[in-house]
Amino acid sequence: MKKLVAAITTILVFCGLLAFTSDRLAKSQVKSQSNTLTLYNWGDYIDPALLKKFQKETGYHVSVETFDSNEAMYTKIKQGGTSYDLAVPSDYMIQKMKAAHLLVPLDKSKLHGMNNISPQFRNLEFDRHNQYSVPYFWGTLGIIYNDKTVKASQVQHWKQLWNPRFKDSIMLVDSARDVMGFALIRDGDSVNTKNIKQLNAAKKRLDSLTPNVKAIVADEIKMYMIENEAPIAVDWSGEASEMLSQNSHLHYVVPSEGSNLWFDNLVIPKTAKHYKAIYAFLNFMLKPENAAQNAEYVGYATPNEQAKALLPASVRNDKQFYPDAETMKHLQIYNNLSPELIGTYNELYLEFKMYRN
Amino acid sequence: MTKKTKWFANGYLTLVFVLLYVPIFYLIMYSFSTGKTMSHYQGFTWAHYVALFQDARMIQIALDTLLLALLSALIATAIGSLGALGIYATKKRQTRNALLSLNNILMVSPDVIIGASFLIFFTFLGIGLGFGSVLMSHIAFEIPIVVLMVLPRLQEMSTTMIDAAEDLGASSWQVLSRVILPAIIPGILAGYFMAFTYSLDDFAVTFFVTGNGFETLSIEIYARARQGIDLEVNALSGILFVFALLLVVGYYLLTQYTAKRQKAGVKRP
Repeated sequence: MKKLVAAITTILVFCGLLAFTSDRLAKSQVKSQSNTLTLYNWGDYIDPALLKKFQKETGYHVSVETFDSNEAMYTKIKQGGTSYDLAVPSDYMIQKMKAAHLLVPLDKSKLHGMNNISPQFRNLEFDRHNQYSVPYFWGTLGIIYNDKTVKASQVQHWKQLWNPRFKDSIMLVDSARDVMGFALIRDGDSVNTKNIKQLNAAKKRLDSLTPNVKAIVADEIKMYMIENEAPIAVDWSGEASEMLSQNSHLHYVVPSEGSNLWFDNLVIPKTAKHYKAIYAFLNFMLKPENAAQNAEYVGYATPNEQAKALLPASVRNDKQFYPDAETMKHLQIYNNLSPELIGTYNELYLEFKMYRN
Repeated sequence: MTKKTKWFANGYLTLVFVLLYVPIFYLIMYSFSTGKTMSHYQGFTWAHYVALFQDARMIQIALDTLLLALLSALIATAIGSLGALGIYATKKRQTRNALLSLNNILMVSPDVIIGASFLIFFTFLGIGLGFGSVLMSHIAFEIPIVVLMVLPRLQEMSTTMIDAAEDLGASSWQVLSRVILPAIIPGILAGYFMAFTYSLDDFAVTFFVTGNGFETLSIEIYARARQGIDLEVNALSGILFVFALLLVVGYYLLTQYTAKRQKAGVKRP
């Protein structure tokens, strides 16, 4: 009995010590809890140097929590019990969150610098008059190829992926709407189609692509492409820019017949608490020099026109990441579809993914 | 056993252990690589360990994980041991079996379901998600293991000892603390260690019930792995592996020690 009591006390003392040191460590990272801002962001999606700069300028500490899909973020915010001040959902998710009353409208009088955002990225369908969202980054879906084995002319269009010579060499990003999306675009259909016939046809086309598909993976694509493991991949522009920077043989193409155009946007979820810090941060991120620095770090395209002007000419004029007006015209934004329709998209995609052989 | 089959048996055993341990050592080996990814080994360095120890967030998370495991295992052991005593003392066979089955159902139900149900439960009660919610759910899923570890010890214990103690005028507290507890201490210790490792291990339940501000190692490593494994994670895995090794050796020495003492002392019935 005595030994048991001794053992329990030892464990408790140890727990106390652990709690104390962990608390000290937490405090060394965050000076005071009251002036922190919790940013709920995608992984590695903001330049850490900017967070330090923000803290220096305003005294607010930013603690970043990360999510890996729009859906995961939606669930966490809807479920409550959290206190995220800002989140970064994509376009269609903003519509969904709006419908679920999870967003707090922006107070435009406190917001400075919205005019820095290029007009073509303001007042978009998913959020008219930018009532809720400040554009953060935008990008496209496209084809990445390795010039060691693939010629540029061989992968300018989606339908060229079906070329039998690319047997077992294409990596696809594991995302239902993106994969269904390019299959739809290939035959000139809308990525938001509600026509079941078109969807089934797209799925059939994907099935016939099966022999060419090497793998359907997510973030790992980056590593595989950099290591020359596969000659072709379908992935998002930001991922592509990171690959390109690490392997000079890689190139990115946005097919001119169309592709997906997506936006990630800063919004205030209803769980927000520190409004002063929120507007300080939004205004900070709208400043051209900060947006430019962030764009250089993240590698996605910035919607901030003034910031774009500050970027090096080689980046600014890169057709791969800032496509020309002609291509831009053909790009399509995902709309939030009804749950049933989303279900159909997912089901068809899963059928393609699971039963490929 | 003939020489040939013995050779085969040893070979098979070696193969199994090699298969089990090679991935871990492969992982640890790369924690010393100067490269950035796990594709080519490029020379020796401590840099990843240095980076790990400078990463205050990672250290804090490691400490929190340890704290959570120690504390939840302690509370779960207390509750679970009492629960085992309760089940043991239940006279009616049917009730006892029913209680035991209820306990076992919690053991075999998937973590995902337990985690999801806790999440719904906590948000329904309006309990904020964070250290508290994770601690409570860890205690909850550890209790059945402790019960299962302690119960056999109770059943092994000879009831004549309790009768003798009572005949000699021991109060029920004395019976518990002087007779029953010493007999079941090995079970309690084993239960504590099992609960501790379950807590360290857990991903699914924690994933559901954790909120902002609190993360455990498994959650953090998962989040980081999405970006492609950083070799800092390898370094951390190496340290945890050594830590677990020490724990196992410590537990072994402890049991050796108590076994020796028991042999030297009065023979157990």
